[in-house]
Amino acid sequence: MNKNYLFLAILMIILAGGLLILPERTNYTQINPEDLLWDIIQPSRYVTTDQVAKMLIEQDPTLELIDVRCAKEYDKFALPNAINIPLDSILSPNYSDYLGIEDMNAIFYCNDDILADQAWVIAKRMDISRIYIMKGGLNCWIKTIIQPTPPPETASGDEFDQYDFRKGASMYFTGASISAPKSDSKSQVTIKRKKKTKATAGGC
Amino acid sequence: MPNKHVHEVNPKRTVITMVLFVVIIVIGLVTLKSPRLTYTLTPLQTLNLVSSNSGSVYPYQLDAVLKGTIDTVILIDIRNKFEYSKGHIDGAENISAYDLTNKENIKRLKDLKKEGMAVILYGNNQLEANGPWMVFRQLGFDNVKLLLGGYQYYTLHKNDLAKTKDDKSYILMQPDYNYSEVAKATASPGSDIKKETKKAPVIKRKKKTKATAGGC
Repeated sequence: MNKNYLFLAILMIILAGGLLILPERTNYTQINPEDLLWDIIQPSRYVTTDQVAKMLIEQDPTLELIDVRCAKEYDKFALPNAINIPLDSILSPNYSDYLGIEDMNAIFYCNDDILADQAWVIAKRMDISRIYIMKGGLNCWIKTIIQPTPPPETASGDEFDQYDFRKGASMYFTGASISAPKSDSKSQVTIKRKKKTKATAGGC
Repeated sequence: MPNKHVHEVNPKRTVITMVLFVVIIVIGLVTLKSPRLTYTLTPLQTLNLVSSNSGSVYPYQLDAVLKGTIDTVILIDIRNKFEYSKGHIDGAENISAYDLTNKENIKRLKDLKKEGMAVILYGNNQLEANGPWMVFRQLGFDNVKLLLGGYQYYTLHKNDLAKTKDDKSYILMQPDYNYSEVAKATASPGSDIKKETKKAPVIKRKKKTKATAGGC
């Protein structure tokens, strides 16, 4: 037998041994740590409570609210149509179908930001796209949407518009008068056309 | 002759094949792309870590650091240069979050870890530093810690940090309201809401003057 064959066989066995030191393969995709940090720094990962309120009122079909607090807190109070995925079970296969749905914007929220942020970082690492955090969480939700405070009189028009929106949203979410906004809008939108002034004389 | 394997006819072929084989493997090993940074914690381990609350530094613990009784700690301000220049915790270094994964900074952090130094990250609030802290923890820098309350809380209690041990106002994750109560309480179709809307200024347009004669 050729000596070379023996040598080749030994080489193969050694190389096979090399397989043992290969890094363990993960069964999930993950993004580079640098990219993860970059994504964390972007302010675009936050949505405001106003944006969430608007999406809820408009019944945005791409909105998926995810409550990352524990089930007990979720049962007491949660945003409309929110799904409860407690942070400690966010990796559980029971909930994996809720994350990374195509064309859905998943928005995490908790009492403030921290739990939602932790959930966000872990989900982002696993390359789940279109995930956001509701900035300020439920505390901010109550402060801005449910109990809005009027802006100072010197505030800009935009701030007054925002306040008007929040008042309306507050009524919508507290169930104060569900029919009111609809009837309001119907009764108020009566377009009055200007009467034409009488024939003008002259002109260029 | 027909019974002999082709390599046995020409032994040189075997040698050539072997050399080629070895060369290909060596090239493969050399060009093997190894990422600069790799996660050492799995997502599940990360989850357990953040739930355990073990990497946090409480503001009152900062007191000993600032007084110099503990000198194995380095403070890193992850805000940008401008915010840092406006004010920062005494003795803190400024490495903006954008630059944290730079080559030099990673090397620096590795050296600090070897020396047994702890690194405390802080931003304006806890949220700002939470993400970077989680990234470095996942990369295996278990000496990296997160300052609760952030810079904002520090500036409020600069002079009595040691006394903040019993103050829990910086601890997040707590509800500020009894949500279900609040949501119901405001459910009366508010009297004040109507009043407010009445106050809205009514814009009166000037009536158009009657037909104008002439022009130009």
